[in-house]
This record gives sequence, C-alpha cells and structure tokens, in this order.
Amino acid sequence: MREEIIQEHEGGMWPWLLQRVTAVILLVGLAVHLFTLHIVNLGSLSYDNVAGRLSSIGFIVVDFALLGAGLFHALNGLRMVLLDYGFTGGRKTALTVVIWIVGLGAFAYGTWALWPWLTS
Amino acid sequence: MTEKNRETANVGAGLWKGTGMWAWLLHRISGLVLVVYLFAHIGVISQGQAQGQAAFDRLFRTLESPVFILLDVALVGAVLYHGFNGVRVLLMDVGVGIRGHKTVYYAVMGAGIVCLGLFAVTALAFIV
Repeated sequence: MREEIIQEHEGGMWPWLLQRVTAVILLVGLAVHLFTLHIVNLGSLSYDNVAGRLSSIGFIVVDFALLGAGLFHALNGLRMVLLDYGFTGGRKTALTVVIWIVGLGAFAYGTWALWPWLTS
Repeated sequence: MTEKNRETANVGAGLWKGTGMWAWLLHRISGLVLVVYLFAHIGVISQGQAQGQAAFDRLFRTLESPVFILLDVALVGAVLYHGFNGVRVLLMDVGVGIRGHKTVYYAVMGAGIVCLGLFAVTALAFIV
C-alpha cells in the first residue's frame, strides 16, 4: 500500500467513464452471447441459425449492444495502449480522430453485415 | 493537469513488479488479442451479406475443424481472463478490494478457470 500522485487520466474523463460503462455492457452481453450460442443452443453454426436468433428482438438488442460497446471498448483500449507509446499533442488528436473513423466505419459495416438477417 | 494524492495498491503498471504487474500485462495482451479477434469476427459474420448463404455455411464448416475449435477455446480463455480481471479493475475503481487485490485476483481467476472448463468440455464434443 502506498500513496502516489494520480494525474488526470491521460485518455480523458469521458473515454475513461465510457470504457467502464461498455465494460459492464460487455460482461453481461458476452455472458449471454457465449452461453446461449455455445452451451445452451449447441450445434453447428449456420446462416439459418443466425437468422433464427436475429428474428427475436432480444438477440437484435444484444448483438447491436455487443457491436457498439465492443467496438468502443476495443478501439478506446487500443488507443490507451498507443497513448503509452509516444502519441502526444497533434499526434494524439490525429490518433483519436482515426480511431473514431475506424469505429464508426466498422459499426456501419457490421450493421450492413447483419442486414439480410434483420430484414428476412 | 490536476493532481491529487490517493491511496492505491500496487496494481497496474504503476509499480513494475509482483502480481499487479502480471495482472496488468496479461490484461493488456489479452485485450490486444481481442481487438484483433473482434475485427476478424465482424469480417467472418459479414460473409453472409458479402457472399451469400452457401458461402457462409461453407466457411462455418471450415471453422469447425479441430484447429479452429482449439483456437476457440483459447479465445474463450482470453475473454474470460480479460472479463474476470476487468471485474477486479471495476471493483477497485469503486474502492472495493484495493488492499486485498491479490486475494480478489486469485478468486476471479478461480471463477474464470471453472468457466473455461465448462467451455472446454463443450468444445471437446466437436473434436472427438
């Protein structure tokens, strides 16, 4: 046990808080995702399986929560790792902008990927 | 830059030794593995939209080979480590288990190993 100087979180207050919020969403969402897909609903994964799950609003909510929270948590986590390796000033801002573009792009791509199941 | 004194445990990269260091290092490594997996996962699932039902189902037959099942178990291990150690981090953020952080670490790791056992037994049915 020791006293130490805690500086303002390098990544910013909102990313810090959202990292915690998305962590809780992922703990619950991944427990549902992994348990229902691999323990309860055992069997070969297929296009029709996915369609069956995504016909229920519950799984649509879980899947989109996992997509959004997962991307935020993963990319902000990656950003926090990179901030330990010399991303300061303008480079830090550029990193944050690139991370957001990648994240929003991936969320759009993930939505497009699920679309045929959602609309069938 | 605001600064304030706060009581902390030897956790994270703050002090480069002991259980806290390993917990932090493994959290970071498993996190990076999971970032790569998340994008691979989105890429695989998107093949339904990109290439259609037949190609999607063919891809999943490939992903059921023993090598990929073993990789799945390793993946679940990474998820469980990151998740259970993450619970410990969240508890410390609200001031729980700072003094006893090593005890909490071993407790959550025990819970993680039990869960990994459940998934490993399930995975075994696909290999043998």
